[in-house]
Amino acid sequence: MKKYLEYVWVILIVLTVFAFLLGYLKYVSTALVAVLLITTFLKGALVTDYFMGLKDVKLKYRLIPIIWLLVVISLIAVAYYLPV
Amino acid sequence: MSKSITLKEKYPPGDFAIWIIIYVEFITFALLFLGYAFSRRLDVELFNGSQEILSQTSGFINTFILITSSYFVVKAVQNMKSMTKENYKEFNTKASRWLLFAIMCGVAFLVIKVTEFSHIFGLGINLSTNKFFMFYLLLTVFHFLHVLLGSGILFIIYKKTRIYGYTPDDYKGFETGASYWHMVDLLWIVLFPLVYIIR
Repeated sequence: MKKYLEYVWVILIVLTVFAFLLGYLKYVSTALVAVLLITTFLKGALVTDYFMGLKDVKLKYRLIPIIWLLVVISLIAVAYYLPV
Repeated sequence: MSKSITLKEKYPPGDFAIWIIIYVEFITFALLFLGYAFSRRLDVELFNGSQEILSQTSGFINTFILITSSYFVVKAVQNMKSMTKENYKEFNTKASRWLLFAIMCGVAFLVIKVTEFSHIFGLGINLSTNKFFMFYLLLTVFHFLHVLLGSGILFIIYKKTRIYGYTPDDYKGFETGASYWHMVDLLWIVLFPLVYIIR
């Protein structure tokens, strides 16, 4: 059996623990929000590529959720960082 | 001259109709996520104060549960892909075990969420309490309904694996349900940091 799924699961869990600890220990600074959003993008990309299996599909179908993630997370960053 | 070519599937796994539904869900949730993010800008103190009432621990446990359930589902899909005409019964049984774990995760997610909702509603909070809770309830209740539907779909697939209903030539329905479940996981992966962590 291929082991890469286990590695993907471990990475997803480690990144989730990282996000949780930032929030739980109240370490969420303005700079760390950017890191949090980048790790969220990475987690999403791992799910679409390896769990949904889109890495083995034609590029246009692989890109749709990746672009969705990129747009949503970028706009969340804009909403967070743009001065009121 | 030799050339290495990796063959890619023409379409994503499962019935293409589910992908149309998934894309529509992406748009719907994107609007809700961005509605939350841009409303927060206008009243950061209200959002940060209201967020304190939420349990980050239960949000974290639910993220852990959904990611793990997605892993169980993809393991079940791997079993489907490994089937041959000689061993398809054995692989249906193996897949059913993974699916059972995934369904248990789905149920655990729902139980934790119901507990969280009871706590929130017990405090007298509802959709009109303030803008944070309006978005919180819209997002999480809507997502809750997706988990409920996804768990039901996984259960139907599970029952079919128990009667060896999938064969090497026909397991598209299995992949369709799996794709829906991964979408539910993906949406929560964005929702968790946005609503529970970022402040």
